[in-house]
Amino acid sequence: MFYRLSGIHHTRYESARQLWPIPMDRWQIYVLLALGLAAPLLFSGLYLTSYLLPWLIMSAAALSLTLLMGIAGQLHFGFAAVMAIGAYSSIHLVRAGVPFELALLGAGAIAAVIGSVFGAAALRVKGLYLVMATLAMQYLVDWTIINVPAISGGAQATLQTPAVRFLFMPLASDVSRYYLALGWVVLVTLLILNIKRTSLGRALVAVRDKDFAAAVIGVDTVKYKLLAFFTSSFLGGVTGAVLAFCYYRAVTPEQFTFNVSIQLVAMVLVGGLGSVLGAYLGAGFVLLVPIVLTNVVAFLAGAGWLSVSTNLLAHIPLMVYGALIIGFLLFEPLGLAKIYDNIRNYFLVWPFRHSRS
Amino acid sequence: MAAVIPTASPETILACRNVSRWFGGLQALRDVDITINRGEIFGLVGPNGSGKTTLVNAITGFYPPQQGQILFEGRPLHTLKPHQIAQQGIARTFQNVALFRGMSVLDNILLGRHNFMRPSVMASLFYWWWAQKEEVAHRNKVEEVIDLLQLESVRDEHVDVIPLGLQKRVELARALAAEPRFLVLDEPMAGMNQEEKEYMVRFIIDAQEALGLTILLIEHHMDVVTAICDRVVVLNNGEKIAEGPAREAINDPAVVAAYIGKVDDAA
Repeated sequence: MFYRLSGIHHTRYESARQLWPIPMDRWQIYVLLALGLAAPLLFSGLYLTSYLLPWLIMSAAALSLTLLMGIAGQLHFGFAAVMAIGAYSSIHLVRAGVPFELALLGAGAIAAVIGSVFGAAALRVKGLYLVMATLAMQYLVDWTIINVPAISGGAQATLQTPAVRFLFMPLASDVSRYYLALGWVVLVTLLILNIKRTSLGRALVAVRDKDFAAAVIGVDTVKYKLLAFFTSSFLGGVTGAVLAFCYYRAVTPEQFTFNVSIQLVAMVLVGGLGSVLGAYLGAGFVLLVPIVLTNVVAFLAGAGWLSVSTNLLAHIPLMVYGALIIGFLLFEPLGLAKIYDNIRNYFLVWPFRHSRS
Repeated sequence: MAAVIPTASPETILACRNVSRWFGGLQALRDVDITINRGEIFGLVGPNGSGKTTLVNAITGFYPPQQGQILFEGRPLHTLKPHQIAQQGIARTFQNVALFRGMSVLDNILLGRHNFMRPSVMASLFYWWWAQKEEVAHRNKVEEVIDLLQLESVRDEHVDVIPLGLQKRVELARALAAEPRFLVLDEPMAGMNQEEKEYMVRFIIDAQEALGLTILLIEHHMDVVTAICDRVVVLNNGEKIAEGPAREAINDPAVVAAYIGKVDDAA
């Protein structure tokens, strides 16, 4: 962060509209990408599969949701159901003999179609009513998956993911699964960043900010709301499939319950609505906080300073989620991404604080 | 109530025929007849609540008229949705600035180019090979508008941090970026001081000359109306009470009575 913006001038529109117009930012991204690629060498298998992998996949899920909630402004409290549709679709497609690459796309397409059907409610309702409509989706999808044996494989059943190969490479090792997840999250990130700087993103933001003013410059609000639901559900569906094949490797309905939807909303809100960086930060935060909390409480209990029942221990993360969401909505509605931005802006002009804008 | 559709004479760009609109028991517009000619600045004045904004909302499709017809270049407008009307070449600004607060000035104006762009997920995904060319081409167009309205200094600012006078100018720029043939300005000088008003008048006239626009202007500042409008229509309680060249229409006894109440008081 210790760099200055002076002397950076762009003389072509192409370079001014780059994803990272500041060279130092670009270098940071290169370093992060290199770290991501080298992670299997740097971290032990345990860290790779139980921390890095879920974080990347949930970041992709949060990115898919932030496209809908943050950029297009349509609330969705049933996003885990979208991922469930993707996960189950991909497994059944692979079992039916469809190549894995096509099964991923098919999972996205099925999730997108079903997601848009429920999203069609968004054309009529806003705010809390949309929350209710998407909640209905969560419960309907949950119910359908559990009660239709053809999908879930029977009550309380667990579906193992078949062995697959992606682009002729078997998806058999932790490392190969990690790279598939990394590739997917990078792709989603690039897509969201590019949507934000093109006419599609502007139209979506216009519909979010003032739909009547969007209509008056020719934006078909109905079409763009549906497109947002479709795209976001497609990404969510593929992410669900990646989650099933790369992380869980066996799916049950319990992996995609309402709690997961709330976690995803928490990731988007805590990270910062509509922010790409925020999706990563939010996903990391929401995934790490329970682990850290549980460890801290367990340590305190073990040291005899605190006596908690295991029951309470399990519920502490949930209470902390609630407190965090309320806290962020009150004190920093733009989330962790905004906090990062504030710190960055502070150091960009440090020590000349008066020139901070 | 079927009114006869008149054959549009070549210079007529917009015609309202017996337009009526009511909200519940309130008749906001009653049989309003207006003909606007290509290339003119047409004023729409009247006291508060007289139906000016309702008429504009009827033209731009937010509150389609329940009776009567609106013809734009001879084609009916009152059956279209707002975004379809925008695609016909009609742009407008709002009385209360309606900019998109989550975007920069530049992105707001770029949004004005929406009708000429082809947004799609694939174009965004393959930005470097697909969307970039289009983005740059439209950026060039937008820079022409920014140049015309002298917005260079605030180009990269967020729209909610710039002063109201500039926000109104950005909204005008967004409307101009759509290359409309017909532009509706709903009180573009509301809340402005004298200097900002003079700037705005200059920009409106510049834009009209540079782009060959027809403008429908709602304005309360009579000095502005008499200075730039070719013709005006005065509305009161949803009815047209006067029409003609600006100075004469405003001095019409019925208009003075509508604004002030008694003819005797007008000197």
